[in-house]
Amino acid sequence: MRFTYRFLIITLLILQNCNTKTEPIEISATDYHKAVDKLTEIMVHDIFSPPVASRLYVYPNVAAYEVLNQNDDYFKSLSGQLKDLTISETTGETQANKELAALIAYMDVAKELVFSKEMMTDFRDSLYAEWELKNADSFLKSKSYGLSISDQVIKWMNKDGYAESRTLPDYNIYDKSPARWEPTPPAYMKGIEPHWNTIRPFALDSASQFKPIRHPDFSLEEDTPFYKELKEVYDLNNEIREKGDESVEIAIARFWDCNPFVSVNKGHFMFAEKKITPGAHWIGICKIACQQTEADFSRTVFAYTKTSMAIADAFISCWDEKYRSNLVRPETLINKYIDLDWAPILQTPPFPEYTSGHSVVSGASSEVLTDIFGDNFYFEDTTELPYGLPMRVFESFRAAAQEAAISRLYGGIHYKAAVVEGLSQGIKIGELSNSKISFFKEKKLASTGQ
Amino acid sequence: MKYLGGLLMLAFLVISCNKEEKQEQSYLFNELDSAVTGVDFMNMVEDTPEHSIINYIYFYNGAGVAVGDINNDGLKDLFFVSNEHDNKLYLNKGNMKFEDISASANINGNSDWNTGVTMVDINADGYLDIYVCAVSGLLDFKGHNELYINNGDNTFSEESSSYGLDFKGYSTQSYFFDYDKDGDLDMYLVNHAVHTNLSHGKASLRNERAPLVGDVLFKNDDGSFIDVSEDANIYGGVNGYGLSATIADFDNDGWDDIYVCNDFHEDDYFYVNNHDGTFTETLGSKFNTISRFSMGSDAADINNDGYQDLITLDMLPWDEKVLKETEGDDAMFNMQVHLSNLGYKDQYSRNMLQISHQGQYFHEEALKNQIADTDWSWAPLFADFDNDGQQDLFISNGIPKRPNGLDFKKYVSSAFKGKSEAEGLNWLYNAIGEMPDGNVSNQIYKGINGDFSNKTGEWISNVPKISNASIYTDLDNDGDLDIVTNNFNQVASIYQNNTSETNSINVSLKYKDQNIEGLGTKVELYNDRERQLKQVFKSRGFMSSIDGSLHFGLDSSIKVDSLVITWPNNKIQTVINPTINSSIQLVYDESNIKDGQESARQETAIFEKSNLIDFTHVEDRYNDFVEEKLIPYKVSTMGPAVAVGDVDNNGFEDIYIGGASGKSGQLFMNSGNDFKSVAISSFAADAAYEDNSATFFDADMDGDLDLYIGSGISEINAETLNYDRLYINNNGDFIRGTNAIPQNPMVTSTVNSYDYDQDGDMDLFVGIRSNPNSFGKMEASYILKNDGKGSFSKDPNFVLNGMIMDAEWTDIDNDGIKDLLVATEWDQPKVYLNKNASLDLINLPQELSGLWQSITVADVDNDGDQDILLGNLGLNSKFNLYFDGPLQLYYSDFDENGVNETMIAYNRNGTYYPLNTKDELAAQMNIINKIYTSHAAYAGKSMVDALKSGTLKKATKYEAATLTSGYLHNDNNEFNTFVPFDSSLQLGPIYDFESFELGNNKQLLITGNTYRFNTYHGSYSSLKGYFWDVSNDTIVPASNKGLDPINEQIKDVVIVDMKDNRVLLVVANNDSVKSYQFDK
Repeated sequence: MRFTYRFLIITLLILQNCNTKTEPIEISATDYHKAVDKLTEIMVHDIFSPPVASRLYVYPNVAAYEVLNQNDDYFKSLSGQLKDLTISETTGETQANKELAALIAYMDVAKELVFSKEMMTDFRDSLYAEWELKNADSFLKSKSYGLSISDQVIKWMNKDGYAESRTLPDYNIYDKSPARWEPTPPAYMKGIEPHWNTIRPFALDSASQFKPIRHPDFSLEEDTPFYKELKEVYDLNNEIREKGDESVEIAIARFWDCNPFVSVNKGHFMFAEKKITPGAHWIGICKIACQQTEADFSRTVFAYTKTSMAIADAFISCWDEKYRSNLVRPETLINKYIDLDWAPILQTPPFPEYTSGHSVVSGASSEVLTDIFGDNFYFEDTTELPYGLPMRVFESFRAAAQEAAISRLYGGIHYKAAVVEGLSQGIKIGELSNSKISFFKEKKLASTGQ
Repeated sequence: MKYLGGLLMLAFLVISCNKEEKQEQSYLFNELDSAVTGVDFMNMVEDTPEHSIINYIYFYNGAGVAVGDINNDGLKDLFFVSNEHDNKLYLNKGNMKFEDISASANINGNSDWNTGVTMVDINADGYLDIYVCAVSGLLDFKGHNELYINNGDNTFSEESSSYGLDFKGYSTQSYFFDYDKDGDLDMYLVNHAVHTNLSHGKASLRNERAPLVGDVLFKNDDGSFIDVSEDANIYGGVNGYGLSATIADFDNDGWDDIYVCNDFHEDDYFYVNNHDGTFTETLGSKFNTISRFSMGSDAADINNDGYQDLITLDMLPWDEKVLKETEGDDAMFNMQVHLSNLGYKDQYSRNMLQISHQGQYFHEEALKNQIADTDWSWAPLFADFDNDGQQDLFISNGIPKRPNGLDFKKYVSSAFKGKSEAEGLNWLYNAIGEMPDGNVSNQIYKGINGDFSNKTGEWISNVPKISNASIYTDLDNDGDLDIVTNNFNQVASIYQNNTSETNSINVSLKYKDQNIEGLGTKVELYNDRERQLKQVFKSRGFMSSIDGSLHFGLDSSIKVDSLVITWPNNKIQTVINPTINSSIQLVYDESNIKDGQESARQETAIFEKSNLIDFTHVEDRYNDFVEEKLIPYKVSTMGPAVAVGDVDNNGFEDIYIGGASGKSGQLFMNSGNDFKSVAISSFAADAAYEDNSATFFDADMDGDLDLYIGSGISEINAETLNYDRLYINNNGDFIRGTNAIPQNPMVTSTVNSYDYDQDGDMDLFVGIRSNPNSFGKMEASYILKNDGKGSFSKDPNFVLNGMIMDAEWTDIDNDGIKDLLVATEWDQPKVYLNKNASLDLINLPQELSGLWQSITVADVDNDGDQDILLGNLGLNSKFNLYFDGPLQLYYSDFDENGVNETMIAYNRNGTYYPLNTKDELAAQMNIINKIYTSHAAYAGKSMVDALKSGTLKKATKYEAATLTSGYLHNDNNEFNTFVPFDSSLQLGPIYDFESFELGNNKQLLITGNTYRFNTYHGSYSSLKGYFWDVSNDTIVPASNKGLDPINEQIKDVVIVDMKDNRVLLVVANNDSVKSYQFDK
């Protein structure tokens, strides 16, 4: 006890000491990227499903964006634009370091979303300590302002239907219809997030706003469109496998795998081989684009916010269709009717087939990123380097999206219709996002990007 | 070598520690000091990047031990197998002193990975030979199974190739027996699979023989062993993860059968000997519940009924913390559906005790006996360790590292990303240290008339260690059985048995031809107490072999009346009054034998199978567990409804059998000779309803029977499709009435009609199990009063909130007016005395909350009044393992998200723990993943500590204080004494007591079972049906009187009079109706 007190007193003395010198706290876009990366790291550690991960990305960004843009000359608040979001009664905006406050708000919301909360609070506390040493006064004022916004964002976030969706039924595996999705090898996990369409969307009016056309009718008759697509997956995968590990198709399939549920069998063990989600990959591309254009803090937050909102909408829209059509995966049918021992090049993720999530997300992301950074934006995609995959180079966001979509066919986990319709579904979501939500006070400036 | 020295040092330290403890407590078995015995063998296994649990799944299985008198000096010698070092042979010098003769004996072994061992006199020269199995062809393991022929001078020569026994593959253990009765010893070789993409395929893979992996049956052809597996119908697929077999003549037909234990998803195999050199695999029809990760096994007649019973071991931990930190059966939810699609049987990760019904079928009762959870268990050995004439049970235990730790899996996942196959394996190898430890104490149980009482800590020390292969034998010839275990990286243990003041007899055999040890011989011992049956086989338990003598405990009995020996050729020889407390040798004596006779124990079949009703109930696909993830069992599969009544007034009772949602119910009209299904259009129109319960009664007082059907949960759980229905009989047609009864969207479990208010019309009791959307909420059941015109309204004076499962109107106080009995779950049963239309709840014994499934009356104590019979869940469920106090069910919105959850807590030593694992809770309550980021943090948390503080206080709590079925003794219309039923009636939940007379004897046919539970429990189908002859107070299996053993979830048993005889109908959920005819 005595020790604690003494320690506290010493600490206080030091703090007082420090209070005397006031150094400005400078927050750069790099600091924001670090916070986003930290969130990604925790998400990979905790293993969140792709839809849930998309929710985790978006709310911290919205909080940071709102902190910056309550009274900005250039960017426009989202308050009143997004369903049920009203930001009011902020405290101490004028005295706050807004970048600092934005970062604080980001971390404050993020910690509410992850399981391993302490990973985020440890990260936050070390930053807090640093800032407090530099300029306690500015830090405390910025913190108070930042938290006054993040509190409101958290309240809004908590009413998005997520908590309620936790108690909704699981996908029923007892249905025996051959067209119906069933859990896939090797882990036979239950269907992920069957009620994600109950989550409140951002730009979308409803989860079904861009309901895709129906997939080819299920049939095992040889000359039907459905069967042809099934056979295409089988033949194409065999062909690619024949070409070997060095083939470009395999490189593409693996690069865009982004499946956080991959189970690996080694000896006695089956465990998840952790990866980022499709959403996280596009967040990574957003980061690359920001860095490449040397976007400042404000513009970085804007880009992340806009991208993560489109991604979140993409998952809501895509999952709505997935559990509407409940279509069986190619692996299930091929094992049952064509080749018992066949396995796709990628592991089949645990949810119904139609439409392809990666295609929808990539379509939506590429449209908003093009809107922000322009078309024909050359970039080197290094997002997967930490996961052991080499860099790939793209001439534009749309080119990357095309490749991401087709990678699912190469991977043997989707029929072509899911890829084609998924991409178009995503593009529509991106276009809506671009047109419906205005981030700029003067729309004209938006398209020029500066 | 330095390393070895270090290990030895460590071992000495361990031993000296043990010694100190021994001074504090003495056990029935002393563990002897290796420095004193001279047995210093240690199975030393070292993890290396080339060989480890990472690249060989059975790296921690240990190695064998065998016992036998190799030099015929009357003292049993010990052979230890070393997985990767030299085997050792120790000569018994008497007084528990042994001499290591390995250096001169030439038995070191040449294979790289050795496993099981059997001592057997393969060439019938009077000297025991030694057969050692090996894994070869896996990783860089070379070598083959080796046969050490005894030279008669304490040396051996390896001659496997000249016998054709130099098998190369993944062998676990050899089993010698004479399957074709040609006088020589054949061999069943258990080999094990390893995980490959293929081995996870369809069950039918077992039909395609795979080299190295598939089990092999060798026929001895004049000293040369030939693979006859294919011809003999022995499976040998890539999915055969064989870890042990048990040979026994299970059906006493004189020919030996084989039970094979397979690990992982592959079913075990039960091969019945066809007497013609072939076998028929019949596991599916003879066993219901089998262990999943089947390891060691053993057979013995534990209930002295003359038939050998079976135990198979698995790896269910008993420690609360370990339970929650390692993967259990709860994780099998999807996997089990998948495996069943591939053709595999449902299997559960726990030990299984299979009790033989004359070898024709088995019921499983390890949960009832509380021997189901002995942790990572290898060798079970049935033997009479305390010489009291009852079979006791020893189980060896432990694994260096538990590869199924849930946090370990997560840890591996975190670090594994982006690694190549080779890097990954190397990384995993380095992570072995992160796996949880698996040191656990061996377990020993005292057998008491087929039950078992845990004596660990009394008979043997409960200090954790790792023991794999084990044997019993009388090493010091003092008339009791000692135990030897081959330990993993620890010195082998010799447990000296100090039993005294009881009698015993040890019988060894000398047979003829090429089987002079007489393997397969059965010896029955008769004395003043009971009959004991034992059969001679060498290989038992796990990777090990015992000596060829049979040890019978006699307790205080001083005389054996006779020994009846059935030799392998099925000739019988009898020895009268053998000398006890001695070892006697019985020699086959051609002049003193008689022919054996087919055992004719079958009682006369009274019931004859017939095919009177063609109806199959097919359950729909509604799945309660996806709707409410934490509930222990379904409430959507409680049908089919059964109603009996003379609809057409022809003097014979007709039958309505309800359909599950999606299938129409059917009315069967009884002509007196047969039943004819008649089409009723309103039944067909209402096929979407789930018929849970039904009753025929005259609702509208027009003199014919109308039909009330209580509905369960329809397939799509639509409220209007969950309503009960009233059908009015209109000249034999049934028309659904409108607005005559209140709308009832709840799960109706029972409907019962009676004019309870004695106003001349029929009223109804409608019992409600629950709200279709909320398992844990108690809803109101009610009485419907008839207004005399067939219109019904609820009696406001009757209030009963509960989870009703069954009810009956019956007069229990002999006042001529029927009273109301109600069976409830998570509550007391309710007994209402009917006094002038007022139903008065009477007091019952306080502790009687339970999971009551059925209720009725019968005079089971023959004192002239009606006792109340109560069917409970029974004692053969997983709940029985953790029942140190009432089971609790909590109902509350634990995570405060607007929806209530149901949680179960069990009592272990006074502390309540949540039943569910962290992952299960998190699936329903997101907050759990935030409170606990590791399984270790959650494991071992009490119910109070597991959730946010204060949460539990807000919850509604229900209890089940007893799971025992029994009856309330009627003592002058007071029911204050609950009398448990016989142990056989506790084998499963009881759903029906059917009362009838056979001759002048009052009979009850008692049936039940359930398939409603989740994968944590599995199906409970061990109650195969029992006749309780109340007049004589005898209980016999239903199969004794001609019924098929009952494996299904019974809804109802109905007996109907026909013109010339009676018919008994067995109506089950999700199965066809079975009918039997019997005399009036």
